[in-house]
Amino acid sequence: MEKILIVDDSEMNREILTDMLADEYEIFEASNGNEAITILSEHNTDISLVLLDMVMPVMDGLEVLDIMNKNGWLADIPVIMISSDDSAEVTHKAYDLGVTEFIRRPFDSLIVQKRCRNVTSLYAKQKKLANLVADQIYEKEKNSRVMIEILAHTVEFRNGECGMHVVNVQTYTEILLRELARITDKYNLTEAEISLISNVSALHDIGKISIPDEVLNKPGRLTDEEFKIMKSHSAVGSQMLSELPFYRDEPIVKLAYSIARWHHERWDGRGYPDGLVGDDIPIGAQAVSLADVYDALTAERCYKKAFSHDTAIEMISKGECGQFNPLLITCMNNCAEEMRLVKEGNRLAVRGEDEIREFAHELLKSDAMYSSDRLLHLLEYEKMKNRFFEGITGGYSFEYNASSDMLTLSPNCAEVINADETIINPVHNETLMNVFGQKTLSDLSAKLRSMSSEQPIVQFYVHQLITVKPGEEKPVQSFRITDTAEEHRRYPADTQCSTYKLVCRTTWTLEEPQRYTGVIGKLVPMGNSYGFMKGSENNDFRSLL
Amino acid sequence: MTLEAFYNEIGSDYKAALTRMGNSEKMLGKFVRKFTADKSMSELNASFDGGDYPTAFRMAHTLKGLCANLGLDKLQHSSAELTEALRGGVVADNAAELLAQVRADYDMTVAALAQLDE
Repeated sequence: MEKILIVDDSEMNREILTDMLADEYEIFEASNGNEAITILSEHNTDISLVLLDMVMPVMDGLEVLDIMNKNGWLADIPVIMISSDDSAEVTHKAYDLGVTEFIRRPFDSLIVQKRCRNVTSLYAKQKKLANLVADQIYEKEKNSRVMIEILAHTVEFRNGECGMHVVNVQTYTEILLRELARITDKYNLTEAEISLISNVSALHDIGKISIPDEVLNKPGRLTDEEFKIMKSHSAVGSQMLSELPFYRDEPIVKLAYSIARWHHERWDGRGYPDGLVGDDIPIGAQAVSLADVYDALTAERCYKKAFSHDTAIEMISKGECGQFNPLLITCMNNCAEEMRLVKEGNRLAVRGEDEIREFAHELLKSDAMYSSDRLLHLLEYEKMKNRFFEGITGGYSFEYNASSDMLTLSPNCAEVINADETIINPVHNETLMNVFGQKTLSDLSAKLRSMSSEQPIVQFYVHQLITVKPGEEKPVQSFRITDTAEEHRRYPADTQCSTYKLVCRTTWTLEEPQRYTGVIGKLVPMGNSYGFMKGSENNDFRSLL
Repeated sequence: MTLEAFYNEIGSDYKAALTRMGNSEKMLGKFVRKFTADKSMSELNASFDGGDYPTAFRMAHTLKGLCANLGLDKLQHSSAELTEALRGGVVADNAAELLAQVRADYDMTVAALAQLDE
């Protein structure tokens, strides 16, 4: 049964809606925005629809929409706004923030049911369609890749090689072009183009099919005449493609033509067959060319031994195998380690299914903040794993997401300080301010933001002070946060102090310039049973586990 | 008193309210009978008297929405006027008068509810 979240501050309004919808849906209820966000972060895209009231205490409907937007939930979870407010201003604002539909008060049961059904089935259809398209793209890509590879291996088979050359060149080409797209937008490379170029790169040596065996597989040095024959493979390969009876105007064939013909051209014009210079050589052919040279150098051939990775990189950088585009040389140096891993067979060379699915989703939503079901499931799994380990190892944990300014506390953590599990804008949250004090919170926030991806881990000490005042029944609880353990600090006799080590791992964006994206953290008691941790000033998180 | 008689008594449209509840007299009856348990009227009184106008606005708003759903037309009308008089943190001069009208309509509705058949 699909799940609906009803967010309304009036209990009776929720009950009425529940009565109208309970036959068709499983209902979740929230009486304000904060509760709604908590339920949404727990259930995620498991929720098929949100019915959202606008005027509510604690956090109103517009704020909920804002957070849903920032977390990228609106792409997958439709929201129907409940409103008696007909004003254009509110309506426009709600549409701007991504509301799908409106239900006006007073509720009409038939309208409520139909509208919910329409919206959920539309979203369900869209999701189904997205997955269908992803499956088809995957099938299609797989089929054409298989065909290309069969063809390429036929060529290589004559060469007496094991077939890794084609696969390696594909992977190196992809690595180089990805890096190129990252460091410059000079070539306007899209993900689709990169993938096409690296697939088609398998055909670069297709012209070798015309080279006689005795030249192709000659163990020693080639004579000038033989070398000329050998060099003809690029022109012959391109000719074969240009004389195809069908499809010769297809982009993929044109691309294959340019790679087959020009993968031995050089940046300074001293390559063959046409002596093209600089960027007159298509960028695809340039990348395949470098990938081809690197793989040829690091592989053993009938006429030569293999060079080491380092030697190969050095030879190419120094121009010993001809001049390459300086930008591509930079890419090669940036990605040298990745290329070495491929060479040593430690990195899977073939594009995985996941990648294709992501690619398909990318196509369907040009929005950068997409979240495929698969990713969300992975996330759910990680969360479940965390909860499990937490249950076993104890301690208190939390998570802060900077883009939505949302703090999530583990249930036991929320219980101890008597706060909500989900807190928006924690630095100005009343409960947290009462517990820790405004200054401590802003100092902590500033300290976390001053970290970097090179040094992402920082630790603090949290002192929980429990004071029993004479004549008062309830003990008074307060917290202090410090940089040092303060083991020798003395407290009054009526005060008991438990100290926790607070370890925080800040998170940062991958791309430059690096931005602070949040923090995950854990509080570990430093009592006797954890004595081995005392005095350990090692910043490495592992020492705590 | 039957449900229909109740709606006539408080000057409200029984047929319209019934239609909205999918023509289920049982459902409409169930929620109307729960109306007295709703806290928005008492919280409206308390917050208005205590000078907490943002809360008073929200409570009037909630009461208005609830009355709309149940088809308690008179009370809906007066609470809607009060809601507007309190909107945006500005208290209109006639807010107290409007609240008095809301209280009168509320008392009238509750009195009629007491006569409703079990």
